Amino acid sequence: MPEVPGLQSAPSCWTTMCQDRVAHILLAVGPDLYLLDHAACSAVTPPGLAAGVSSFLQMAVSFTYRHLALFTDTGYIWMGTASLKEKLCEFNCNIRAPPKQMVWCSRPRSKERAVVVAWERRLMVVGDAPEGIQFVLDEDSYLVPELDGVRIFSRSTHEFLHEVPVASEEIFKIASMAPGALLLEAQKEYEKESQKADEYLREIQELGQLPQAVQQCIEAAGHEHWPDMQKSLLRAASFGKCFLDRFPPDSFVRMCQDLRVLNAIRDYHIGIPLTYSQYKQLTIQVLLDRLVLRRLYPLAIQICEYLRLPEVQGVSRILAHWACYKVQQKDVSDEDVARAINQKLGDTPGVSYSDIAARAYGCGRTELAIKLLEYEPRSGEQVPLLLKMKRSKLALSKAIESGDTDLVFTVLLHLKNELNRGDFFMTLRNQPMALSLYRQFCKHQELETLKDLYNQDDNHQELGSFHVRASYAAEERIEGRVAALQAAADAFYKAKNEFAAKATEDQMRLLRLQRRLEDELGGRFLDLSVHDTVTTLILSGQNKRAEQLARDFRIPDKRLWWLKLTALADLEDWEELEKFSKSKKSPIGYLPFVEICMKQHNKYEAKKYASRVGPEQKVKALLLVGDVAQAADVAIEHRNEAEMSLVLSHCTGATDGATADKIQRARAQAQKK
Amino acid sequence: MAAHLSYGRVNLNVLREAVRRELREFLDKCAGSKAIVWDEYLTGPFGLIAQYSLLKEHEVEKMFTLKGSRLPAADVKNIIFVVRPRLELMDIIAENVLSEDRRGPARDFHILFVPRRSLLCEQRLKDLGVLGSFIHREEYSLDLIPFDGDLLSMESEGAFKECYLESDQTSLYHAAKGLMTLQALYGTIPQIFGKGECARVRNGRRVPPDPMFCFQQVANMMIRMKREFTGSQNSIFPVFDNLLLLDRNVDLLTPLATQLTYEGLIDEIYGIQNSYVKLPPEKFAPKKQGDGGKDLPTEAKKLQLNSAEELYAEIRDKNFNAVGSVLSKKAKVISAAFEERHNAKTVGEIKQFVSQLPHMQAARGSLANHTSIAELIKDVTTSEDFFDKLTVEQEFMSGIDTDKVNSYIEDCIAQKHPLIKVLRLVCLQSVCNSGLKQKVLDYYKREILQTYGYEHILTLYNLEKAGLLKPQTGGRNTYPTVRKTLRLWMDDVNEQNPTDISYVYSGYAPLSVRLAQLLSRPGWRSIEEVLRILPGPHFEERQPLPTGLQKKPGRWRYRICHRHH
Repeated sequence: MPEVPGLQSAPSCWTTMCQDRVAHILLAVGPDLYLLDHAACSAVTPPGLAAGVSSFLQMAVSFTYRHLALFTDTGYIWMGTASLKEKLCEFNCNIRAPPKQMVWCSRPRSKERAVVVAWERRLMVVGDAPEGIQFVLDEDSYLVPELDGVRIFSRSTHEFLHEVPVASEEIFKIASMAPGALLLEAQKEYEKESQKADEYLREIQELGQLPQAVQQCIEAAGHEHWPDMQKSLLRAASFGKCFLDRFPPDSFVRMCQDLRVLNAIRDYHIGIPLTYSQYKQLTIQVLLDRLVLRRLYPLAIQICEYLRLPEVQGVSRILAHWACYKVQQKDVSDEDVARAINQKLGDTPGVSYSDIAARAYGCGRTELAIKLLEYEPRSGEQVPLLLKMKRSKLALSKAIESGDTDLVFTVLLHLKNELNRGDFFMTLRNQPMALSLYRQFCKHQELETLKDLYNQDDNHQELGSFHVRASYAAEERIEGRVAALQAAADAFYKAKNEFAAKATEDQMRLLRLQRRLEDELGGRFLDLSVHDTVTTLILSGQNKRAEQLARDFRIPDKRLWWLKLTALADLEDWEELEKFSKSKKSPIGYLPFVEICMKQHNKYEAKKYASRVGPEQKVKALLLVGDVAQAADVAIEHRNEAEMSLVLSHCTGATDGATADKIQRARAQAQKK
Repeated sequence: MAAHLSYGRVNLNVLREAVRRELREFLDKCAGSKAIVWDEYLTGPFGLIAQYSLLKEHEVEKMFTLKGSRLPAADVKNIIFVVRPRLELMDIIAENVLSEDRRGPARDFHILFVPRRSLLCEQRLKDLGVLGSFIHREEYSLDLIPFDGDLLSMESEGAFKECYLESDQTSLYHAAKGLMTLQALYGTIPQIFGKGECARVRNGRRVPPDPMFCFQQVANMMIRMKREFTGSQNSIFPVFDNLLLLDRNVDLLTPLATQLTYEGLIDEIYGIQNSYVKLPPEKFAPKKQGDGGKDLPTEAKKLQLNSAEELYAEIRDKNFNAVGSVLSKKAKVISAAFEERHNAKTVGEIKQFVSQLPHMQAARGSLANHTSIAELIKDVTTSEDFFDKLTVEQEFMSGIDTDKVNSYIEDCIAQKHPLIKVLRLVCLQSVCNSGLKQKVLDYYKREILQTYGYEHILTLYNLEKAGLLKPQTGGRNTYPTVRKTLRLWMDDVNEQNPTDISYVYSGYAPLSVRLAQLLSRPGWRSIEEVLRILPGPHFEERQPLPTGLQKKPGRWRYRICHRHH
């Protein structure tokens, strides 16, 4: 804070002001006023300040921070804007004694401005009028400026001083002829069954002011604190409404509701004497919060129900607050609290049992928290709290129940850190779903643990697969790979999976063999299948070794023929192929020979085999080598309709014209017979 | 844009709009220009609900694929990672964030988890020290994606594998969540029927099926979730009358057989991914004269296949043998329409003709595309090998020679045909024989290992674990009973104007379709014996509706089926 020139002792008075979100201090030193902010101190002079002021005794900023009032030692009051740019009015009260308090008293949107000054036993309201209003105070009092007036507290009383609202003034001013006043009068006369009611009503209607009259009565009712007066004004409004065609009902209805709420909270048991304007400014939500803070739960709930607020914002929220309070009652047993809460809350939508449980846990009541969590339907809320409370096993079963695997994982990792390995595995063992999820996790993150898990469960089949995988992924050296396979084979035997065990032993044999082949012949053999190893050997001219391998691994004859056929054709070793085809009778027939030669575009070789194809596939073979004429002959000889059509579909161009005719003739003949 | 989604009996655009809205809301939370870093797997499914234009409208300026080291340079305010909740992806993200250049302009990071936010992943990010770098961490529950007017898909291709090989039922949880979303939009589904187990594998052995298990999975999760969602009492009149939950395990046969509809064959031959297919480009070269074929496109032709395309909607589900005639008829209609221009004499007539031109040209383009595709497919289906394979499949499905080694399969192995083809046939034979005789099974397995390599011992074990391949136990083949009762094999199939679903496989009627048919009429009570043979329990559950939303009993009322708990 900067220095204030000439400030030796405490300032005679000071106040805080707020402009454009910046806080200032206004401070009086003798006849001078200074405005301070965090950096500077500047002397200010209120415009139009009367002369002769030697010190300021009081200053007051209005509720809205817009206006400022200064009380000087001459009994003179200056009123102006807080910016100190404009004077609104001034007043001389001729009392030089320093007042105890000075506060602004105004109403939002009202043009009237007034300041209330209090001395020991005297209260004066001053404003833009030559005369002030004086009141006598019976006791020591304290003033509190509020939104729309001033509260005056003493040891035994609580009063509210405010500017009379326009509507009330219009209606209750003596001899008022305002429409609202006339309507109120009309209604009273109506109740007395006097014809004057009609006269008053007519008077309003003639001026076309009935809607304003109703509106005034509704508004004035809002500002009344005494229920009887509220009622009589509302009755007048309701009476006036009967003579109007289209008067929207909501303002009337809403006012009735608001007044009922206001009357309820103004009751001395509750003691929240809000004015209508304050209530509106505050909003119902804030009012409910205040009731909740005062633990007035039943009233709050009644208000919610009466106003039909949505459950989530209304009743549920209050019940949740109630429950949070309830869990703090240490003298009640966990059982009783949990039951009481559940009885009240049931499945009320929007109530978070986990929030309540968290509160209970916060108060050190873990058992209660767990009981409450039983009622929580959302596992996503339930589980993390259980974990926080170190009830991991319970959390695990809740997570599993929910089917949400992410939750299960979360608990698992938690458990893993919390428990020692043995206990952790035991826990898993009792939860198959968790176990399989954890296995998945290990597969990607911790391979070794996976092995331990299989071991623990005596799951030899999976253990075998694990080692098989390791023989491909983890091991580079051939010895290591074979060792992994040996482990796999052992596991497969234990799993009574003879087939897999044998196949694994074969693979070990094959790996060693391939290694030897690579050393002796060069080239790449490792990780080829048995089939491909034999093929590779034939392709590199190692026919003997190929034969040996095929025998060692007992490759079935048919497949071996296919294998050789394909390999020799790939080599285009036609001589060897022919020799092979004559080595004994082909177990796969000779059509494959024709096909493979044609695939290599060797019609010459293909024709050699076509003649050896058995009768069933002869036509197909002949067509493949392009001998349509002979194919036709065979088909006709077979008297096979399907074969004849097949040949016919191959008859293209002029050259086959004769053949086509031949078939057609044969067909015709066949049909004759 | 997605009008075809609203043509069905249920307007699926409602769902599509709901998921799009959710996406827009998230994008708007990250104010300013953005770049999206994609988990590559998700781009396909996302493409079905939001094109780039939508992202662009919300200031997405750049898109990258998620990969290690540093992020590519981009002058944007926000970086959004759109990822599946997987640990390995978290590691990559952390690497990206940590190698961010501190000297460059500060950028905001966000994560959108699809379909579920994960505590596990967030913990990992925390361990890696980057969790605090993310401003928004949210989830985008893209569970059921509107696929076509009558089809929703989770696009979760690993679901069966996860459930049966890894005992990981995450996908079931997502399915239940997706169904909850569906009910929130379309009303509570009053009746749920189901069939199938999700057998737990313990110690490598199958434990006896737990009748409540499937329940506990999808149906029970739904009922549980309903409790979580109370508060928003569902007051929508139910659009769906029934929900039928079928475990894939109940019908392993159908996906093994070769599909024979037009769409099915496109999928068999070229593979349809997220409704897109990539085709060899040669057939689709622009036919312009004078080009001399020098700029043949080398990149695969990518086409989207859905019912938004009028012609495709008409032929997609036809047996391929019936497609040719439709195409030639269409060709005639279109060329006749173009000929119309000669008849247009008055200005009015010409104007009308011109106004129809865009539609006609689109139709002509579509016809040209499908004619090319049909030609490509025909090359395959007329091949001898295709015919042989189909013959074997059909023999198996109609119960011929399923108990001995098949020589065609032997030849396929000997000639090293693609392994997947061999495995499909062997598994098909196994399913049609309630498992293979130990000798036959071992023979096939040995042949496969010798030919394709020993490493496939793991492949074969996985097939056995999933029940696709198994030794016959108990000695009785139950498939013939199932086949006869459910009429799975139909001899008289009309491929051109079908009256029975068996036309889709030219003889075989998909088991799951038969189950649905029988459920609607006369009810499952009539097939109790078969239901006992098929794996897993069957169940029925009613979900109470709020008063006022009950439907009057109509002809779609089913009787309660047997329930054993």
